[in-house]
Amino acid sequence: MNWRISRRTFLRGVGAMLPLPFLNLMEAEGRAANSEKPPVRFMTLFKPNGVHPPSWNINGGTENDFRMSPLMRPFASHKQDLLILDNMGDFGFSSHANSTRRFLSGHHKNTKSASMDQLIADQIGQDTVHRSLELTTEGLFPNQIGCSYISYDTNGDPIPRESDPQLVFDRLFRNPLQHPAKRKEMVSLLDRVGEDAKKLQSKAGVEDRLILDEYLSVVRDAEQRLDNLKSAGTESPELTKFMRPDGLSNLNEQVDAMLDIIALAFWTDSTRCATYMLGNSNSRMIFDFLGIKEQHHYLSHFFRNFSRDNIDALLKISEWHMEKFNYLLTKLKSYKDQNGTLLENSVVLFGSGMGHSDNHTATRIPMILAGQGGGMLKTGRYVRYSQNQQIGKLHLSLLQKFGVEKAAYGENSTALAGLDSSDFEAFQEPSFKSWVKSDGQSITVQGRLRMSDDLDEAKLFFIDVQDQESVRIDVSFGDFHHFNLAYHCGTPITLTGTGQQTDGQYVITKLTELNSLFGKKPGTQNG
Amino acid sequence: MLLTALMMPAVSCADDSYEREILPLLAKYCVACHSGDEPSAKLDFSIIKTQQDANASFETWRRVVELLKSGEMPPEDEERPSRLDIENIETWYRSRFIENVEARPADFRPRRLSAYEYRNTLRSLFGFDLEVNIIEAEQTIAEKSLVMKLLPLDPPGKSGFRNDTSGNPLTTVIWDQYSYLVDAGLEAFFSPRHQTDLEAYSGPILVSGVSHDQAETLLQSFMTRAYRRQVENSELGRRMIHIKEAGSSEEIVDRLKSELKVVLMSPEFLYRGLLMRGNPGQQSVDQYELAERLSYFIWGDMPDAELMRNASSGNLSKSEIYRSEIVRLLNDPKSRNLAEDFAVQWFSLDEIDHVSDNVPYAVALKSQPLDFVKYLFAADRPLLELIDSDVAYFNTLTSRFYPQDRKQLARYRKPKGIEVEIVPNQQITLQDTSERGGLLTMPGVLAMNKGPVLRGVWMLERLLGEPLPEPPPDVGQIPQNRNGQSLTFRERFELHRSKPACAVCHDKIDPLGFSLERYDKSGAFVTKSGETIDTSGQLPSGEIFTTYQELKEILVTSQRDQIVRNIVQKTLSYALCRKLKYYDRPAVDKIVNELNQRDGTYRDLIRLVAESMPFRETIIKGESE
Repeated sequence: MNWRISRRTFLRGVGAMLPLPFLNLMEAEGRAANSEKPPVRFMTLFKPNGVHPPSWNINGGTENDFRMSPLMRPFASHKQDLLILDNMGDFGFSSHANSTRRFLSGHHKNTKSASMDQLIADQIGQDTVHRSLELTTEGLFPNQIGCSYISYDTNGDPIPRESDPQLVFDRLFRNPLQHPAKRKEMVSLLDRVGEDAKKLQSKAGVEDRLILDEYLSVVRDAEQRLDNLKSAGTESPELTKFMRPDGLSNLNEQVDAMLDIIALAFWTDSTRCATYMLGNSNSRMIFDFLGIKEQHHYLSHFFRNFSRDNIDALLKISEWHMEKFNYLLTKLKSYKDQNGTLLENSVVLFGSGMGHSDNHTATRIPMILAGQGGGMLKTGRYVRYSQNQQIGKLHLSLLQKFGVEKAAYGENSTALAGLDSSDFEAFQEPSFKSWVKSDGQSITVQGRLRMSDDLDEAKLFFIDVQDQESVRIDVSFGDFHHFNLAYHCGTPITLTGTGQQTDGQYVITKLTELNSLFGKKPGTQNG
Repeated sequence: MLLTALMMPAVSCADDSYEREILPLLAKYCVACHSGDEPSAKLDFSIIKTQQDANASFETWRRVVELLKSGEMPPEDEERPSRLDIENIETWYRSRFIENVEARPADFRPRRLSAYEYRNTLRSLFGFDLEVNIIEAEQTIAEKSLVMKLLPLDPPGKSGFRNDTSGNPLTTVIWDQYSYLVDAGLEAFFSPRHQTDLEAYSGPILVSGVSHDQAETLLQSFMTRAYRRQVENSELGRRMIHIKEAGSSEEIVDRLKSELKVVLMSPEFLYRGLLMRGNPGQQSVDQYELAERLSYFIWGDMPDAELMRNASSGNLSKSEIYRSEIVRLLNDPKSRNLAEDFAVQWFSLDEIDHVSDNVPYAVALKSQPLDFVKYLFAADRPLLELIDSDVAYFNTLTSRFYPQDRKQLARYRKPKGIEVEIVPNQQITLQDTSERGGLLTMPGVLAMNKGPVLRGVWMLERLLGEPLPEPPPDVGQIPQNRNGQSLTFRERFELHRSKPACAVCHDKIDPLGFSLERYDKSGAFVTKSGETIDTSGQLPSGEIFTTYQELKEILVTSQRDQIVRNIVQKTLSYALCRKLKYYDRPAVDKIVNELNQRDGTYRDLIRLVAESMPFRETIIKGESE
C-alpha cells in the first residue's frame, strides 16, 4: 500500500518521542498527491444510563434549522459534522441489559450473531494489523452481565473489553512482533539471556540443568519466531516513537488518553474499527473528579431520587460525557487524512441504550452520527423521524453503506432512510401560535417550553415566543414540582402566573395554571 | 558420589520386600483387572515393579489395605486372598509407610515463581504495584494487578497448591508476558512518579541525572535483591561493561533499563533455587535458600533486607535468630498470604466468588473465612479453633446469619446515593448464636458447597485429609418417590447409594454432609418448627451423633488427631511447594506429636514446619544418578 509506506517515511522524519497531543500540530503527507481513496473508519462511543430528556432533546426545529439542546452545547461547534437522529428506538420500558444489547445488535433478541461493529470490522478490518478494538472504562458488572458489553462475536458471545490505555497503546505501537525497533531490542535480549543461561548451565547440577534446558528452549523458540517474521519481510511503520500515556489517575485522564490512542490508531491505519464504552450501563461509578459523591446509576434515576442537587450532579456527569464526545471529534478533525480530515473519513456513532434514564424508556434514544464517512453521510442536519424507529434499521443502513451484504439485521429488514440525501418521513407537529400577554396582574404565555441553555442554571425555563424575547420562568421548587415543568419540556403549553417585566423581558416567578396545547398527560412522555 | 550413596536411606535401595512378598499376591489376585489399556479404577499394578515404584505410589497402599479389609476388593465373584495374605500386606504397608520410614528430604529442584509470587516479588523489588487502569465501581469486578491480568493462572500442582509449579513449564506465551511486564515495570520505575523507589537503590539523583557510580550502585543492589543472594563481582562486572560505554545520563538510563531487563528475564530471577550450590548428597540448604523458603512460605514474597542480612551473615543457622525471624515474618502484614493464598486454596474459598452476582455480598461472604483465618494466625489460636470457635466476623450484609448476635454490630448507615457497597467486617464474640462459629458453619462456605454430598466430600478432603477416588461413571439420578411412597430425600438417597461400590465412600461422606442439612443452600440456618430434618449419623469409626453440634464435639475430640495431621500435611506441602512423599511421614509425625503435646497453635505450626528437616535440608543429585 503506497499510502502506508509514505506515512512511514514521514514518521521517520519526525524522529524523537512525540507526546500524543503534539500530533495535533502535525500536518501529514496527505497533501502529496495520492489517488488512492482513504479507508473509512468506524467507531462507536457508548454513553451509559440514557439521558435526562429535558436537557437532551432538541426543542422543535427542522432538518436544516434547529437549535442544539443544552446538553449538546459541549460539541455544538461540530454541528456541521453531525447527523443528529431523533425518535430512535421503539420500546417502552427496557432493562439496562436489553437496551445495551440493542445498541449495536439491533434487537435484544439478536443474541446468536455478531454485533454490527464486528460485521463492519470483518468488512474493513482485514488489511490492518489489528482488526478492531473493543474498549471500556470499567470492570464487569456481574449482577446483569449484559450491561458490560456492546460488542459481540459471531456466536453472539460478548467480546472481552480492554480498559487500560497503556496496554492498548503498547499493543498497537510497541509489540515486538510488529515493530522493528522493539524487535531489535528483543533479539538482543534473547542473545544476552541465552548466553547467560548457557554459562550458568556449565556450572549447574543435574536438576538445574533440566530447568535451564526448559528455559533455553523457550528462548530458542522466541528467537525462531522473530527470525520467521524477519524473513517474511513484514513491513510496518515506525510507530515506537509515540509517547506512552502516563499518570492516568482518574476516569477523565484515562478516557482522554484512550481517545487519543483511538484517533492515532485510525490515523496510522493500525485499525479501522473501535467500540468504546464510557461506562457500563447501570454503572455504579462515582465521578469524584467532578466533585460528585453519589453513584451514576442512582443519580440517573433523577425522578425517583429527585432533588435539585441530584439533578445538578446528573447533568454534570452527562455534560462530561458530551465533552468527551467533543474531545474525540476535535481530535479526529485535527488529523489530516489525505485531502481531508480523519473525521471526514470516519463514521462515529455516539449514543446510549435508552432514552429516559429514570423510567427506562427506549424511545428518543440519544443517537448521533458524526463524520462524513468519505461521503457516506450527509451531516449538518437534524433528522427527526415521524415514527419511532427500531435501532436495527440504523444498523442495517450502516452495514449496507460499509458494503456488508445484509438484507436484514436485528429482527428487521428495512434500512433507515435519511442518512444521506435520501428522503425520509419527518416528524410533523400541529402548528400553533405563540404569544404573551399581561393584564397587569398576571402574565399568560403560549409557546414551546424549554430548559435553560446553561446547565449551571438548569432550574430556569423559557418559553419561546415568536418575534419577542423568550419568557423566563424562574419559580420555586414547589411550583416546578407541582406543575411538572420538566415533563412538558419541548412541547407547546399555555402557562399563567405572576411576575414582572424587566428590561422588556417577562419573568414569571409564580405559577397559577399550566395547560398542554396538545393535551398529553404527564407520565406518557418525557417523565 | 560414594558418600551420597551411603547417605541414601536404606528403604529406597536394599529393600526388596515388595518384590518378594507383595508382588506375587498382586499377580495372583489383582493384576488381571488392574492392568492393560484400561485398568480398573485407573489403577495399574503391572507397572509397579519394584519397592521403589511402590514407594512412589505410596498413597495407593492405604486404599488397597482398606478395600481388602472391608472385603470390597477383590469383587465377590473373584478368588480372594486369605486372611493371612491380607495381614501380610497390611504389615508390609504399616512397616514401609508408617512405622519404619526413614526420613529424608526431597531432591533439590529449582522451581519457577508462581504468578502470585511473581506479582509480589516484582512489587517488592520496584516498591510499587503494577496496576491496570480500570475504574472499579462498587459492584464491578476487575483485575487490578497487571501481573495477574496478563499471566496465565497457574494450575494447582500435584500438591494441590499453585506454588507447586513443577508441572507448569515456561512457554513462549509466558515469556512474552514477562517481557511486557518488565518493560511496563521499568518504564514506571524510571518515571518521575517513582523517583523515590529508584533512589532507594541508587541514592539521591540530581538534576544532572544518573551517574556511572549511581548506575553501578543501583545495578548491584538491584541484582542482589532480584537474585535473592549475593552477586559475584564478575557477574556484576559483566553487566557494568554495557553501562560504562554510555556517555550521557539519558544513555546510562537506557543501558540500565536493558541490563535490568536482562536481570528480570534471567532464569536466576524467574526460578527459585538456581543459584544454590552444594555437593551431591544430603545437606542443609544454604542460608539464602533458607531465607527464600521462609519468606515465600509465610509471605508468598521475596526476603526483605533484614532476612537477607541474617542470611548473608549466616545467622539463620542460629536457632534463636531463625525463630525470631519466623515471628517477625508472622507479625508483618505480608503474612496475610497465609490466609489469602494458602487458606484460600486449602479450603477452595475462591468458590465463594460464584455464590452471588452481587459483588459486595460475595465479597462479604468470602471475607468471613479470610478474616477468621487471619485472626487464627494473628492471635495465635489453637489449631482446632478452626472449626470450633466463638469468634466470628460479619458485617451488615451478612449479619442476618447471626440473628441473636447482630445487635453487637456497630450501626451502619449507607451513604446517600450509594446503592450497595463493600463493608468491612467487625469481630464479634458470639454469645447466643450456637449454630455458628468455626469455618464449617460460615455462610459462604456452606453456600459454595450445595447439598450434603459436596459438603461431605469437602469436609473429608479439606478438613480430615482423606482424598476420595472419582465416583463411578454410571451413578444415575436419585429416584423420585413412587406413588404411595413418602420417603425423605435422605432416605431415597441412602437407598440409591446402598450398593457396596458406592457405600465404601458414601459411608464416610454422608454422615458429614447430612449433619449440615439444617443449613440451606444460601447457608441460612433453618429454624422452622415442626420440620423434621434428619441430621444424625454414624462415622465409620463408630461414633454416633444426632446434630451437627454433636458431630463437632466428635471432630474436636476423637477425630482430633486426624484433623491435626491433615493441617500439618497441608501446611508442610504448601511450605515445600510439593506433594508430600512417603519419606515425609516421620517429619509429619514429629510435628503432629509436638502440637498434640501442648494444644499447639497456628504459630507453633508455622514454626515447626519451618524448623522441620524437609524444609531445612535437601539432597543434591549426583551426576551418575
